[in-house]
Amino acid sequence: MIRIEGLRHRILDIPALSIPPGFSVIAGPSGSGKTTLLRLLAGLEEPREGIIHSCGRDPSRLDRGYVHEFPGRNGLFTLVSQEIASPLWFRHVPCDEVERRVRDVARSLGIGDLLSREVSTLSGGEQVLCALATALVPGPELLLLDEFDSHLDARTTALVGDRVRSAGVPVTVMCTQDMDIAATADTLVFLEGGRVKHAGVPSAVFSDLGGSCWYPPSWRCKEWNSSLTGSA
Amino acid sequence: MELILDRVCVKRGSTCIRLSGNFHPGVHLVNGSVGSGKSTLALVAAGLLTPSEGSVTRTGIGSAMLLFQFPEWHITGRTVEEEASSFFVPSKKVLVRAGLSGRCDDDPFTLSRGELKRLLLACVLERQDDLLVLDEPFGALDCRGKEWARREIGKRRREGIVILCTHEQHFLPPVDWIWEFSGHTLACRGRVPQALASWTNAPDVVRKLVEKGSPPRNVTPEDIREAACRTPA
Repeated sequence: MIRIEGLRHRILDIPALSIPPGFSVIAGPSGSGKTTLLRLLAGLEEPREGIIHSCGRDPSRLDRGYVHEFPGRNGLFTLVSQEIASPLWFRHVPCDEVERRVRDVARSLGIGDLLSREVSTLSGGEQVLCALATALVPGPELLLLDEFDSHLDARTTALVGDRVRSAGVPVTVMCTQDMDIAATADTLVFLEGGRVKHAGVPSAVFSDLGGSCWYPPSWRCKEWNSSLTGSA
Repeated sequence: MELILDRVCVKRGSTCIRLSGNFHPGVHLVNGSVGSGKSTLALVAAGLLTPSEGSVTRTGIGSAMLLFQFPEWHITGRTVEEEASSFFVPSKKVLVRAGLSGRCDDDPFTLSRGELKRLLLACVLERQDDLLVLDEPFGALDCRGKEWARREIGKRRREGIVILCTHEQHFLPPVDWIWEFSGHTLACRGRVPQALASWTNAPDVVRKLVEKGSPPRNVTPEDIREAACRTPA
Protein backbone atom coordinates (compact mmCIF):
# COMPACT_ATOMS: atom_id res chain seq x y z
CA MET A 1 0.00 0.00 0.00
CA ILE A 2 1.27 3.46 -0.93
CA ARG A 3 0.04 6.31 1.27
CA ILE A 4 0.40 9.98 0.35
CA GLU A 5 -0.46 12.80 2.74
CA GLY A 6 -0.23 16.56 2.26
CA LEU A 7 1.97 16.30 -0.82
CA ARG A 8 3.08 19.55 -2.43
CA HIS A 9 5.91 19.28 -4.88
CA ARG A 10 6.36 21.19 -8.14
CA ILE A 11 2.97 21.00 -9.89
CA LEU A 12 1.64 18.30 -7.55
CA ASP A 13 -0.91 19.13 -4.87
CA ILE A 14 -2.31 15.91 -3.40
CA PRO A 15 -3.85 16.20 0.10
CA ALA A 16 -4.38 12.44 0.43
CA LEU A 17 -4.13 9.38 -1.80
CA SER A 18 -3.89 5.65 -1.18
CA ILE A 19 -2.71 3.21 -3.84
CA PRO A 20 -3.44 -0.38 -2.81
CA PRO A 21 -1.22 -3.35 -3.73
CA GLY A 22 -1.59 -4.74 -7.22
CA PHE A 23 -1.36 -3.10 -10.65
CA SER A 24 -2.14 0.62 -10.64
CA VAL A 25 -2.11 3.11 -13.49
CA ILE A 26 -1.56 6.86 -13.37
CA ALA A 27 -3.12 8.61 -16.36
CA GLY A 28 -3.73 12.20 -17.33
CA PRO A 29 -2.78 14.93 -19.80
CA SER A 30 0.80 15.80 -20.72
CA GLY A 31 2.32 17.98 -18.02
CA SER A 32 -0.18 16.92 -15.35
CA GLY A 33 2.54 15.62 -13.03
CA LYS A 34 2.53 11.88 -13.77
CA THR A 35 6.29 11.49 -14.10
CA THR A 36 6.92 13.75 -11.10
CA LEU A 37 4.63 11.57 -8.98
CA LEU A 38 6.33 8.42 -10.23
CA ARG A 39 9.77 9.84 -9.38
CA LEU A 40 8.56 10.69 -5.89
CA LEU A 41 7.15 7.18 -5.45
CA ALA A 42 10.53 5.84 -6.54
CA GLY A 43 12.38 8.00 -4.04
CA LEU A 44 14.26 9.71 -6.89
CA GLU A 45 13.04 13.07 -5.60
CA GLU A 46 12.25 14.23 -2.06
CA PRO A 47 8.84 15.88 -1.64
CA ARG A 48 9.02 19.58 -0.80
CA GLU A 49 6.07 19.08 1.56
CA GLY A 50 4.19 16.01 2.68
CA ILE A 51 4.72 12.32 3.30
CA ILE A 52 4.94 9.34 0.99
CA HIS A 53 5.04 5.90 2.52
CA SER A 54 5.08 2.60 0.74
CA CYS A 55 4.44 -0.50 2.87
CA GLY A 56 4.97 1.81 5.86
CA ARG A 57 8.46 2.82 4.75
CA ASP A 58 10.10 5.69 2.94
CA PRO A 59 10.28 4.80 -0.80
CA SER A 60 14.06 5.11 -0.81
CA ARG A 61 14.25 2.18 1.66
CA LEU A 62 12.41 -0.20 -0.65
CA ASP A 63 13.77 -2.48 -3.37
CA ARG A 64 12.50 -0.59 -6.38
CA GLY A 65 12.58 -1.12 -10.12
CA TYR A 66 12.15 1.94 -12.33
CA VAL A 67 11.76 2.01 -16.10
CA HIS A 68 12.16 5.41 -17.69
CA GLU A 69 10.39 6.25 -20.95
CA PHE A 70 13.81 7.00 -22.46
CA PRO A 71 15.84 4.13 -20.98
CA GLY A 72 18.83 4.85 -23.22
CA ARG A 73 19.69 7.55 -20.70
CA ASN A 74 20.17 5.14 -17.84
CA GLY A 75 22.30 2.30 -19.21
CA LEU A 76 25.58 1.62 -17.41
CA PHE A 77 27.10 -1.34 -19.21
CA THR A 78 28.04 -2.28 -22.78
CA LEU A 79 26.21 -5.57 -23.30
CA VAL A 80 22.54 -6.31 -22.70
CA SER A 81 23.45 -9.31 -20.50
CA GLN A 82 25.71 -7.07 -18.35
CA GLU A 83 23.06 -4.37 -18.06
CA ILE A 84 20.41 -6.85 -16.89
CA ALA A 85 22.89 -8.53 -14.51
CA SER A 86 24.01 -5.26 -12.93
CA PRO A 87 21.44 -5.05 -10.07
CA LEU A 88 22.42 -8.59 -9.03
CA TRP A 89 26.14 -7.85 -9.22
CA PHE A 90 25.62 -4.83 -6.98
CA ARG A 91 23.92 -7.17 -4.48
CA HIS A 92 26.84 -9.66 -4.65
CA VAL A 93 24.63 -12.48 -5.94
CA PRO A 94 26.72 -15.56 -6.91
CA CYS A 95 27.73 -15.60 -10.58
CA ASP A 96 25.93 -18.82 -11.54
CA GLU A 97 22.69 -17.52 -10.04
CA VAL A 98 23.14 -14.20 -11.84
CA GLU A 99 23.51 -16.03 -15.14
CA ARG A 100 20.40 -18.13 -14.55
CA ARG A 101 18.21 -15.21 -13.45
CA VAL A 102 19.35 -13.02 -16.35
CA ARG A 103 18.58 -15.79 -18.82
CA ASP A 104 15.17 -16.47 -17.25
CA VAL A 105 13.99 -12.87 -17.17
CA ALA A 106 15.23 -12.19 -20.71
CA ARG A 107 13.46 -15.28 -22.01
CA SER A 108 10.23 -14.34 -20.23
CA LEU A 109 10.24 -10.95 -21.98
CA GLY A 110 11.13 -12.43 -25.38
CA ILE A 111 14.61 -10.86 -25.54
CA GLY A 112 16.77 -13.95 -24.98
CA ASP A 113 18.38 -13.38 -28.39
CA LEU A 114 19.46 -9.86 -27.43
CA LEU A 115 21.71 -10.83 -24.50
CA SER A 116 24.95 -10.67 -26.50
CA ARG A 117 24.04 -7.40 -28.24
CA GLU A 118 25.51 -4.03 -27.32
CA VAL A 119 22.93 -1.81 -25.60
CA SER A 120 23.80 1.07 -27.92
CA THR A 121 22.65 -0.94 -30.96
CA LEU A 122 19.18 -1.65 -29.61
CA SER A 123 16.04 -0.13 -31.09
CA GLY A 124 13.89 2.09 -28.87
CA GLY A 125 11.52 -0.76 -28.04
CA GLU A 126 14.37 -3.18 -27.37
CA GLN A 127 15.95 -0.64 -25.00
CA VAL A 128 12.68 -0.52 -23.07
CA LEU A 129 12.52 -4.31 -22.80
CA CYS A 130 16.17 -4.41 -21.62
CA ALA A 131 15.39 -1.77 -18.98
CA LEU A 132 12.30 -3.69 -17.86
CA ALA A 133 14.32 -6.91 -17.52
CA THR A 134 16.91 -4.98 -15.47
CA ALA A 135 14.19 -3.64 -13.21
CA LEU A 136 12.55 -7.05 -12.74
CA VAL A 137 15.61 -9.25 -12.25
CA PRO A 138 16.26 -8.47 -8.55
CA GLY A 139 12.59 -9.10 -7.65
CA PRO A 140 11.59 -5.58 -6.60
CA GLU A 141 8.96 -4.78 -3.95
CA LEU A 142 7.85 -1.78 -5.97
CA LEU A 143 7.91 -1.51 -9.78
CA LEU A 144 7.46 1.88 -11.45
CA LEU A 145 6.95 2.08 -15.21
CA ASP A 146 6.94 5.43 -16.97
CA GLU A 147 5.11 5.16 -20.31
CA PHE A 148 7.44 2.39 -21.43
CA ASP A 149 4.62 1.02 -23.59
CA SER A 150 4.76 4.00 -25.95
CA HIS A 151 7.69 2.32 -27.74
CA LEU A 152 6.12 -1.14 -28.01
CA ASP A 153 3.80 -2.67 -30.56
CA ALA A 154 0.44 -3.97 -29.42
CA ARG A 155 1.47 -7.64 -29.30
CA THR A 156 4.63 -6.95 -27.32
CA THR A 157 2.72 -4.68 -24.95
CA ALA A 158 0.22 -7.47 -24.26
CA LEU A 159 2.98 -10.05 -23.73
CA VAL A 160 4.98 -7.77 -21.46
CA GLY A 161 1.86 -6.76 -19.54
CA ASP A 162 1.19 -10.42 -18.74
CA ARG A 163 4.80 -10.94 -17.62
CA VAL A 164 4.75 -7.87 -15.39
CA ARG A 165 1.53 -8.97 -13.73
CA SER A 166 2.81 -12.49 -13.12
CA ALA A 167 6.22 -11.34 -11.84
CA GLY A 168 4.97 -11.29 -8.24
CA VAL A 169 5.84 -7.65 -7.58
CA PRO A 170 3.60 -6.51 -4.67
CA VAL A 171 3.03 -2.99 -6.01
CA THR A 172 3.31 -1.94 -9.65
CA VAL A 173 2.52 1.63 -10.70
CA MET A 174 2.56 2.51 -14.38
CA CYS A 175 2.05 5.75 -16.27
CA THR A 176 0.49 5.17 -19.66
CA GLN A 177 -1.35 6.98 -22.42
CA ASP A 178 -3.01 3.73 -23.51
CA MET A 179 -6.44 3.79 -21.92
CA ASP A 180 -7.11 0.18 -22.91
CA ILE A 181 -4.24 -0.76 -20.58
CA ALA A 182 -5.53 1.66 -17.94
CA ALA A 183 -8.90 -0.11 -18.15
CA THR A 184 -7.24 -3.35 -16.98
CA ALA A 185 -5.69 -1.82 -13.83
CA ASP A 186 -6.77 -2.67 -10.32
CA THR A 187 -6.63 1.04 -9.45
CA LEU A 188 -6.64 4.05 -11.77
CA VAL A 189 -5.50 7.52 -10.70
CA PHE A 190 -6.29 10.36 -13.12
CA LEU A 191 -4.24 13.53 -12.67
CA GLU A 192 -4.98 16.94 -14.09
CA GLY A 193 -2.99 20.06 -13.33
CA GLY A 194 -1.10 18.26 -10.55
CA ARG A 195 -4.26 17.26 -8.69
CA VAL A 196 -6.06 13.93 -8.46
CA LYS A 197 -9.18 14.41 -10.53
CA HIS A 198 -10.39 10.81 -10.26
CA ALA A 199 -9.18 7.73 -8.40
CA GLY A 200 -10.69 4.28 -8.02
CA VAL A 201 -11.48 1.24 -10.10
CA PRO A 202 -11.29 1.92 -13.86
CA SER A 203 -15.03 1.46 -14.48
CA ALA A 204 -15.81 4.23 -11.99
CA VAL A 205 -13.08 6.57 -13.25
CA PHE A 206 -13.99 6.11 -16.91
CA SER A 207 -17.70 6.60 -16.22
CA ASP A 208 -16.69 10.16 -15.32
CA LEU A 209 -14.63 10.48 -18.52
CA GLY A 210 -17.18 9.10 -21.02
CA GLY A 211 -17.42 11.13 -24.20
CA SER A 212 -13.83 12.35 -23.86
CA CYS A 213 -10.80 11.03 -25.73
CA TRP A 214 -9.73 9.43 -22.43
CA TYR A 215 -12.45 6.81 -22.73
CA PRO A 216 -10.84 3.43 -23.65
CA PRO A 217 -11.00 2.87 -27.43
CA SER A 218 -11.99 -0.78 -27.02
CA TRP A 219 -14.95 0.21 -24.80
CA ARG A 220 -16.00 2.80 -27.37
CA CYS A 221 -15.87 0.20 -30.17
CA LYS A 222 -17.97 -2.12 -28.07
CA GLU A 223 -20.60 0.59 -27.70
CA TRP A 224 -20.60 1.17 -31.47
CA ASN A 225 -20.96 -2.50 -32.24
CA SER A 226 -20.87 -5.21 -29.60
CA SER A 227 -19.67 -7.83 -32.08
CA LEU A 228 -16.35 -6.05 -32.69
CA THR A 229 -14.62 -6.64 -29.36
CA GLY A 230 -13.59 -9.72 -27.43
CA SER A 231 -12.09 -12.82 -28.99
CA ALA A 232 -12.95 -13.46 -32.64
CA MET B 1 8.59 12.86 -56.67
CA GLU B 2 9.72 9.41 -55.55
CA LEU B 3 11.93 7.66 -53.04
CA ILE B 4 13.22 4.33 -54.30
CA LEU B 5 14.84 1.77 -52.03
CA ASP B 6 16.36 -0.97 -54.18
CA ARG B 7 17.47 -4.14 -52.36
CA VAL B 8 18.83 -2.12 -49.46
CA CYS B 9 20.44 -4.09 -46.66
CA VAL B 10 21.49 -2.65 -43.32
CA LYS B 11 23.51 -5.07 -41.20
CA ARG B 12 22.82 -5.28 -37.51
CA GLY B 13 25.10 -7.95 -36.12
CA SER B 14 24.26 -11.10 -38.04
CA THR B 15 20.86 -9.71 -39.08
CA CYS B 16 20.21 -7.87 -42.33
CA ILE B 17 17.33 -5.40 -42.40
CA ARG B 18 16.05 -5.53 -45.97
CA LEU B 19 14.31 -2.53 -47.50
CA SER B 20 12.88 -2.40 -51.00
CA GLY B 21 10.04 -0.33 -52.40
CA ASN B 22 8.92 2.87 -54.09
CA PHE B 23 7.49 5.67 -51.96
CA HIS B 24 5.25 8.13 -53.85
CA PRO B 25 3.61 11.32 -52.53
CA GLY B 26 1.07 10.52 -49.82
CA VAL B 27 1.13 9.08 -46.32
CA HIS B 28 2.86 5.71 -45.90
CA LEU B 29 2.03 3.91 -42.66
CA VAL B 30 4.83 1.58 -41.54
CA ASN B 31 4.24 -1.05 -38.83
CA GLY B 32 6.47 -3.72 -37.39
CA SER B 33 7.28 -5.40 -34.12
CA VAL B 34 9.96 -4.16 -31.72
CA GLY B 35 13.40 -4.22 -33.35
CA SER B 36 12.08 -5.11 -36.81
CA GLY B 37 13.72 -2.13 -38.53
CA LYS B 38 11.31 0.83 -38.51
CA SER B 39 13.85 3.31 -37.14
CA THR B 40 16.46 1.94 -39.55
CA LEU B 41 14.06 2.60 -42.42
CA ALA B 42 13.51 6.12 -41.06
CA LEU B 43 17.26 6.82 -40.99
CA VAL B 44 17.88 5.38 -44.46
CA ALA B 45 14.92 7.24 -45.99
CA ALA B 46 16.08 10.53 -44.44
CA GLY B 47 19.62 9.99 -45.72
CA LEU B 48 21.20 9.70 -42.26
CA LEU B 49 22.30 6.09 -42.66
CA THR B 50 24.15 4.68 -45.65
CA PRO B 51 23.20 1.07 -46.32
CA SER B 52 25.88 -1.56 -46.69
CA GLU B 53 24.16 -2.94 -49.79
CA GLY B 54 21.63 -1.69 -52.32
CA SER B 55 20.75 1.81 -53.48
CA VAL B 56 18.61 4.74 -52.36
CA THR B 57 17.37 7.04 -55.12
CA ARG B 58 15.54 10.31 -54.48
CA THR B 59 13.80 11.72 -57.55
CA GLY B 60 12.41 15.25 -57.27
CA ILE B 61 13.07 15.34 -53.53
CA GLY B 62 14.77 18.63 -52.72
CA SER B 63 14.59 18.39 -48.94
CA ALA B 64 14.03 15.76 -46.30
CA MET B 65 13.29 15.94 -42.58
CA LEU B 66 13.25 13.29 -39.87
CA LEU B 67 11.44 13.46 -36.53
CA PHE B 68 13.39 11.21 -34.16
CA GLN B 69 11.63 8.70 -31.93
CA PHE B 70 13.29 10.29 -28.90
CA PRO B 71 12.53 14.03 -29.04
CA GLU B 72 15.47 14.95 -26.80
CA TRP B 73 17.84 14.05 -29.63
CA HIS B 74 16.66 17.12 -31.54
CA ILE B 75 17.33 19.74 -28.90
CA THR B 76 19.96 22.32 -29.69
CA GLY B 77 18.28 25.54 -28.48
CA ARG B 78 18.63 27.01 -25.00
CA THR B 79 15.01 28.15 -25.03
CA VAL B 80 11.82 26.81 -26.54
CA GLU B 81 11.78 29.66 -29.06
CA GLU B 82 15.43 29.08 -30.01
CA GLU B 83 14.65 25.42 -30.51
CA ALA B 84 11.78 26.27 -32.88
CA SER B 85 13.98 28.76 -34.76
CA SER B 86 16.63 26.08 -35.26
CA PHE B 87 14.23 24.41 -37.71
CA PHE B 88 14.21 27.62 -39.81
CA VAL B 89 10.48 28.13 -39.29
CA PRO B 90 8.59 31.18 -37.95
CA SER B 91 8.98 30.40 -34.26
CA LYS B 92 6.02 32.38 -32.91
CA LYS B 93 3.64 30.76 -35.39
CA VAL B 94 4.96 27.29 -34.56
CA LEU B 95 4.62 27.85 -30.82
CA VAL B 96 0.98 28.85 -31.30
CA ARG B 97 0.48 25.75 -33.45
CA ALA B 98 1.97 23.60 -30.68
CA GLY B 99 -0.04 25.34 -27.94
CA LEU B 100 3.18 26.55 -26.28
CA SER B 101 3.12 30.28 -26.93
CA GLY B 102 3.48 31.01 -23.20
CA ARG B 103 6.69 28.96 -22.94
CA CYS B 104 8.96 30.91 -25.36
CA ASP B 105 11.75 31.60 -22.87
CA ASP B 106 11.68 28.26 -21.03
CA ASP B 107 14.45 25.68 -21.27
CA PRO B 108 13.20 22.96 -23.67
CA PHE B 109 14.19 20.34 -21.09
CA THR B 110 11.61 21.79 -18.67
CA LEU B 111 8.80 20.84 -21.07
CA SER B 112 6.96 17.64 -20.37
CA ARG B 113 7.66 14.89 -22.87
CA GLY B 114 4.30 15.42 -24.53
CA GLU B 115 4.90 19.17 -24.81
CA LEU B 116 8.35 18.57 -26.30
CA LYS B 117 6.92 16.14 -28.83
CA ARG B 118 4.22 18.67 -29.80
CA LEU B 119 6.86 21.38 -30.23
CA LEU B 120 9.03 19.24 -32.50
CA LEU B 121 6.09 17.91 -34.50
CA ALA B 122 4.87 21.46 -35.08
CA CYS B 123 8.37 22.43 -36.25
CA VAL B 124 8.78 19.59 -38.74
CA LEU B 125 5.23 19.96 -40.02
CA GLU B 126 5.63 23.70 -40.51
CA ARG B 127 8.56 23.08 -42.85
CA GLN B 128 7.30 21.99 -46.23
CA ASP B 129 9.92 19.34 -46.89
CA ASP B 130 9.35 17.08 -49.88
CA LEU B 131 10.06 14.05 -47.72
CA LEU B 132 8.98 13.92 -44.08
CA VAL B 133 9.86 10.87 -42.00
CA LEU B 134 8.11 10.56 -38.64
CA ASP B 135 9.52 7.94 -36.25
CA GLU B 136 6.92 7.24 -33.55
CA PRO B 137 5.38 10.74 -33.66
CA PHE B 138 2.60 9.73 -31.24
CA GLY B 139 4.92 8.51 -28.48
CA ALA B 140 4.61 10.54 -25.27
CA LEU B 141 1.49 12.33 -26.50
CA ASP B 142 -1.73 12.16 -24.52
CA CYS B 143 -5.00 11.51 -26.36
CA ARG B 144 -5.56 15.20 -27.04
CA GLY B 145 -2.02 15.46 -28.40
CA LYS B 146 -2.53 12.37 -30.54
CA GLU B 147 -5.78 13.79 -31.88
CA TRP B 148 -3.98 17.05 -32.70
CA ALA B 149 -1.03 15.21 -34.27
CA ARG B 150 -3.11 12.99 -36.51
CA ARG B 151 -5.04 15.98 -37.84
CA GLU B 152 -1.83 17.94 -38.46
CA ILE B 153 -0.17 14.98 -40.20
CA GLY B 154 -3.35 14.48 -42.25
CA LYS B 155 -2.94 18.02 -43.64
CA ARG B 156 0.34 16.93 -45.21
CA ARG B 157 -1.31 14.10 -47.14
CA ARG B 158 -1.20 15.85 -50.51
CA GLU B 159 2.06 17.70 -49.94
CA GLY B 160 4.95 15.34 -50.58
CA ILE B 161 5.97 11.98 -49.19
CA VAL B 162 5.24 11.26 -45.53
CA ILE B 163 6.63 8.06 -44.00
CA LEU B 164 4.87 7.39 -40.71
CA CYS B 165 6.56 4.69 -38.60
CA THR B 166 4.36 3.99 -35.59
CA HIS B 167 2.83 1.50 -33.20
CA GLU B 168 -0.19 3.74 -32.70
CA GLN B 169 -3.44 1.90 -33.43
CA HIS B 170 -6.26 4.26 -32.52
CA PHE B 171 -5.34 7.84 -33.41
CA LEU B 172 -4.23 7.58 -37.03
CA PRO B 173 -4.53 10.09 -39.89
CA PRO B 174 -5.86 8.99 -43.27
CA VAL B 175 -3.10 7.01 -44.95
CA ASP B 176 -2.50 6.02 -48.57
CA TRP B 177 -0.27 2.96 -48.29
CA ILE B 178 0.45 0.37 -45.62
CA TRP B 179 3.89 -1.19 -45.19
CA GLU B 180 4.95 -3.78 -42.63
CA PHE B 181 8.06 -5.56 -41.56
CA SER B 182 7.83 -9.29 -41.94
CA GLY B 183 10.70 -10.32 -39.70
CA HIS B 184 13.34 -7.80 -40.78
CA THR B 185 12.09 -7.41 -44.36
CA LEU B 186 9.95 -4.47 -45.40
CA ALA B 187 6.85 -5.45 -47.39
CA CYS B 188 4.25 -3.23 -49.04
CA ARG B 189 0.69 -4.32 -48.27
CA GLY B 190 -0.67 -1.99 -50.93
CA ARG B 191 -2.98 0.99 -51.15
CA VAL B 192 -5.70 1.65 -48.60
CA PRO B 193 -8.43 0.39 -48.41
CA GLN B 194 -7.40 -2.76 -50.34
CA ALA B 195 -4.34 -3.15 -48.10
CA LEU B 196 -6.50 -3.53 -44.97
CA ALA B 197 -7.19 -7.18 -45.81
CA SER B 198 -3.50 -8.11 -45.63
CA TRP B 199 -2.51 -5.76 -42.76
CA THR B 200 -1.17 -8.20 -40.17
CA ASN B 201 -0.66 -5.52 -37.48
CA ALA B 202 -4.16 -4.11 -37.95
CA PRO B 203 -6.06 -3.11 -34.81
CA ASP B 204 -8.50 -5.82 -33.71
CA VAL B 205 -11.52 -3.73 -34.67
CA VAL B 206 -10.23 -3.25 -38.23
CA ARG B 207 -9.46 -6.95 -38.57
CA LYS B 208 -12.97 -7.86 -37.42
CA LEU B 209 -14.59 -5.35 -39.76
CA VAL B 210 -12.63 -6.83 -42.67
CA GLU B 211 -13.67 -10.34 -41.62
CA LYS B 212 -17.31 -9.24 -41.56
CA GLY B 213 -17.02 -7.82 -45.07
CA SER B 214 -17.40 -4.20 -43.89
CA PRO B 215 -13.88 -2.76 -44.09
CA PRO B 216 -13.50 0.90 -43.16
CA ARG B 217 -12.61 3.29 -45.98
CA ASN B 218 -9.44 4.29 -44.16
CA VAL B 219 -7.81 3.96 -40.74
CA THR B 220 -9.04 7.11 -38.99
CA PRO B 221 -11.34 6.85 -35.94
CA GLU B 222 -14.11 8.41 -38.05
CA ASP B 223 -13.75 5.76 -40.76
CA ILE B 224 -13.74 2.96 -38.19
CA ARG B 225 -16.77 4.36 -36.42
CA GLU B 226 -18.68 4.66 -39.70
CA ALA B 227 -17.84 1.05 -40.62
CA ALA B 228 -18.70 -0.22 -37.14
CA CYS B 229 -22.09 1.50 -37.16
CA ARG B 230 -23.08 0.16 -40.60
CA THR B 231 -22.05 -3.40 -39.70
CA PRO B 232 -24.75 -5.65 -38.21
CA ALA B 233 -23.94 -6.58 -34.59
